[in-house]
Amino acid sequence: MTKAETYDVILFASVSYALRAEKILKDVGISFKLIPVPRHISSDCGVCLRFSPAYRKQIEEALSGKVDISEIRSL
Amino acid sequence: MSKVIDAKGLACPEPVILTKKALEQKEDVTVIVDDEIAAGNIKRLGAKLGLAVSIEKKEGGISHIHISGAAEAEKQPVVEKDTDALPYESYNAASLVVAISSDRMGRGNDELGYVLIRSFVHTLLTLNPLPDTIIFYNTGVKLAGRDSEVIDDLKQLEEAGTSILVCGTCTNYFGISDALGAGCISNMYDIANTMAGAGRLITP
Repeated sequence: MTKAETYDVILFASVSYALRAEKILKDVGISFKLIPVPRHISSDCGVCLRFSPAYRKQIEEALSGKVDISEIRSL
Repeated sequence: MSKVIDAKGLACPEPVILTKKALEQKEDVTVIVDDEIAAGNIKRLGAKLGLAVSIEKKEGGISHIHISGAAEAEKQPVVEKDTDALPYESYNAASLVVAISSDRMGRGNDELGYVLIRSFVHTLLTLNPLPDTIIFYNTGVKLAGRDSEVIDDLKQLEEAGTSILVCGTCTNYFGISDALGAGCISNMYDIANTMAGAGRLITP
């Protein structure tokens, strides 16, 4: 059941930013998953968006200037 | 001695219940099913009980599932039940059952509630041990739909041995009975019994 896939996550300063980003990415049709922020990463907002690193550039472009991102990092 | 159960045409979870009852008699059981979901569920049941399971695929989507209940029975310690303290046949003090009654977690803000429930379902995968059963009812059943955003999590939980019961009355009400992505359609009898038999029952 363990997937060998690697993922990146986008962290936000607040849940409302995460929600805004979620809406934008859904509209653009990029696949991602909202998950709780993993324990080893600290963040004020408890949720983050997880995605395949292949979409990183597309996601950065889609969110650029629209949502404040705290950090994008790999899991 | 092997007991043969013909469960062709029976709706999930009936084949599983029949198999469970037969295995309680500590004999080898062969179950004949024509449904892949049922075959998977029975295979998991055997594995969960630590019994040897083999599946023979026949023509027309029919599977014969052999479970060695007799040989293994001797290895299993006999647990004496305190019948006064255990009112339900299905009671298991160590079991963890999660009942999800809504596709939102908590009341107050629906948008936030939808974020929380997705987070919650994803986090169930990290519990150790995993929940024995997850029950979905009312709008909660939408989370088990094919297009649900947590369907991958539920599939992983199922693969890992968690059984997922989805209220059939509810999927019927929302018109999604044919669009289930995980779990099996269940009824109030099983839902009430599973809840009553839970060692711990959590509702997000």
